Amino acid sequence: MDLVLQLLFTGIGIGAVYALVALGFVLIFRATNVVNFAQGEFSMVAAFLMVLLAVDLEWPYWLAFAAALVGMAVLGAVFNLTVYYPLRHRTYLPVIISTIGASIFLANTTLALYGPQPRVLSGWFDNPGFTLGPVYVDNQYLLIIVVTAALVALQYWFFEHTLLGKKLQATSQDKEMASLLGIRVSTMIMITFVYSAVIGGIAGILVAPILFVSIQMGATIALKAFAATIIGGFGDVAGAIIGGLALGVIETFGAAYVSVPYKDGFAFLVLVAFLIFRPQGIFGERVAEKA
Amino acid sequence: MTPNRRTFAAGLAAGIAAPALIRSAFAQGGSTKIGMVVPITGPAAPSGAFAITGAKIAQEAVNKAGGVLGKPLEIVTEDDQTTNPGAVLAFSKLASQPDIIAFIGSIRSTQMHAMAPDMLKAAKPVAFGGTDPNLTKLGNPWLFRFRPNDSYSGKVIAAFGAKELGKKKWAIVHSTDAFGTAGGKALTEALPENGGAVVLDQGYANQSQDFTPVVLAIRQSGADIIGSYFTFENDLGIFARQLRQLGVNLPWVGSPSLVNAVALQLAGPTLNGTYGVADYAEEASDAARTFGKLFRAQSKAIPDNQSSWTYDAVTVLAMAINKAGSTDPQKIREAMLSVRGHQGAEGPYNFDKNGDGLHGYNIVKNDKGSIVFDKRIEFTPQLG
Repeated sequence: MDLVLQLLFTGIGIGAVYALVALGFVLIFRATNVVNFAQGEFSMVAAFLMVLLAVDLEWPYWLAFAAALVGMAVLGAVFNLTVYYPLRHRTYLPVIISTIGASIFLANTTLALYGPQPRVLSGWFDNPGFTLGPVYVDNQYLLIIVVTAALVALQYWFFEHTLLGKKLQATSQDKEMASLLGIRVSTMIMITFVYSAVIGGIAGILVAPILFVSIQMGATIALKAFAATIIGGFGDVAGAIIGGLALGVIETFGAAYVSVPYKDGFAFLVLVAFLIFRPQGIFGERVAEKA
Repeated sequence: MTPNRRTFAAGLAAGIAAPALIRSAFAQGGSTKIGMVVPITGPAAPSGAFAITGAKIAQEAVNKAGGVLGKPLEIVTEDDQTTNPGAVLAFSKLASQPDIIAFIGSIRSTQMHAMAPDMLKAAKPVAFGGTDPNLTKLGNPWLFRFRPNDSYSGKVIAAFGAKELGKKKWAIVHSTDAFGTAGGKALTEALPENGGAVVLDQGYANQSQDFTPVVLAIRQSGADIIGSYFTFENDLGIFARQLRQLGVNLPWVGSPSLVNAVALQLAGPTLNGTYGVADYAEEASDAARTFGKLFRAQSKAIPDNQSSWTYDAVTVLAMAINKAGSTDPQKIREAMLSVRGHQGAEGPYNFDKNGDGLHGYNIVKNDKGSIVFDKRIEFTPQLG
């Protein structure tokens, strides 16, 4: 039982990271109907910004965190203007290729600036964790779980109870109709990119003390987060969260009880099973041919 | 002047021809070239940077002493991207340049396996650092190893842990790539003769983000010591932290990555008290001390095996080419095989018929972040 609880905690912790990045995927997909393959690089860039500000420049951690998120907001806006906006009237394919190109550009620019050496970023807490009954609770994992829950709650409130949130929802549901109602669609999409970059950045900064800050950290997380969005139902916020958590727990238990070397295999086995038997994901609606 | 079609065409032609002309002019300037496959990007890039530093230190020393065949030595690098396809591509790019007369391969066994068929076709000497014992048993006469192979590391880890530390129940944690699998096997085979037994053999895939299941398996196995073969330092760092967090404080003896500079930086105090077999230990010999001094003059990092093997490789290749007195690959190969007792940074080089140059290991301890030399264990080579 002790073993199960420990694995469950770790699985949920890792799953929460996937969920946070998956959330960014989903928001952009809902607003633009394309997958942003640079979402993982948002996490990586934010982690390197933290290294620059909190480690190299020795700013206070909270100030570095705030500044890094501002930096991510700017990156999100620039990303929208340069990667998405010029191609907004094209089909989804050129936009996807454009996001892949941006992902390569961000990774290689960071490599050129920081070099290949992984960096250490300390967490919020001096104390790494505590023991709760039979479970060792890693403070950083706990923080990730709490922040994910808080962001989901905040997002729910924002989308359901604010005018801006409703405008964003309207844009994601039907851009033409939203435009006819006087909603500035391009502004809404800009806000979505900014918010997604900030969320991806938070995920990167939270996971950096666990995985170290490296060029490839974004790609590693993004691949699983992408799988999580498919499992949850592409375009569904609740699905991204459930999909991410499920993936984290499945791979952790799979590693413990079946095989450690094939840990990643379990995640993608589940993905393939979903693609075959329930391609719309857990929460997605069946797509019907229009008459 | 207003650009017209003619000037544009002339400019374009000059632009296209310039790189070739520059290359040709450089070649005529005269240098002896060694090609080096090295990770410049990807997870192993940190160790690649150290490998290049080691090679450059040796290159400077060789050139200061008169160069190779009367010409300056030049090292041409290609990025292997820390992947097997990347390594194969990098080697083929180098092999297509006829003026490169020898190569430096990878420190990673899996990449060496991937490149070995092309190396056989290239038919020129390749110095490499991968420690899978099988690499020098492929029947490929061009491979020369500049680190002791894992049959030695397995023997030394087993002897030290079981006899010196008196621990008999072993949990072996290893990467599932060629290096980790071969290392784990070598350690498993060496344990019985030292009175030890394996209670857990745990492989893991490289670039794992979480080692909780591995640590819990160790905790449940009843092991009293951990033996490890980690390929990447970031994996080692995550494992070490989770090991300590989950309350496992067993003695730990591991392969060289446990005591290299990147691992020390990433894992910090979680590695305190661990033991590693190290092909390079600064206090092991005068040659090792000399290299350490040269390395520290170039880098703020601690000198380790990531740079010492390329330093030795460039030094010995230059020595062998000069001894051969020619760029003929067969003559260089014979000169390599005749190397006896050369004191390198990694130890005394005596190439056996398979191409293994080193036959011993140092044992070092991580004493609160400082790597302290303990002893060197040397095996008698069958030079044949």
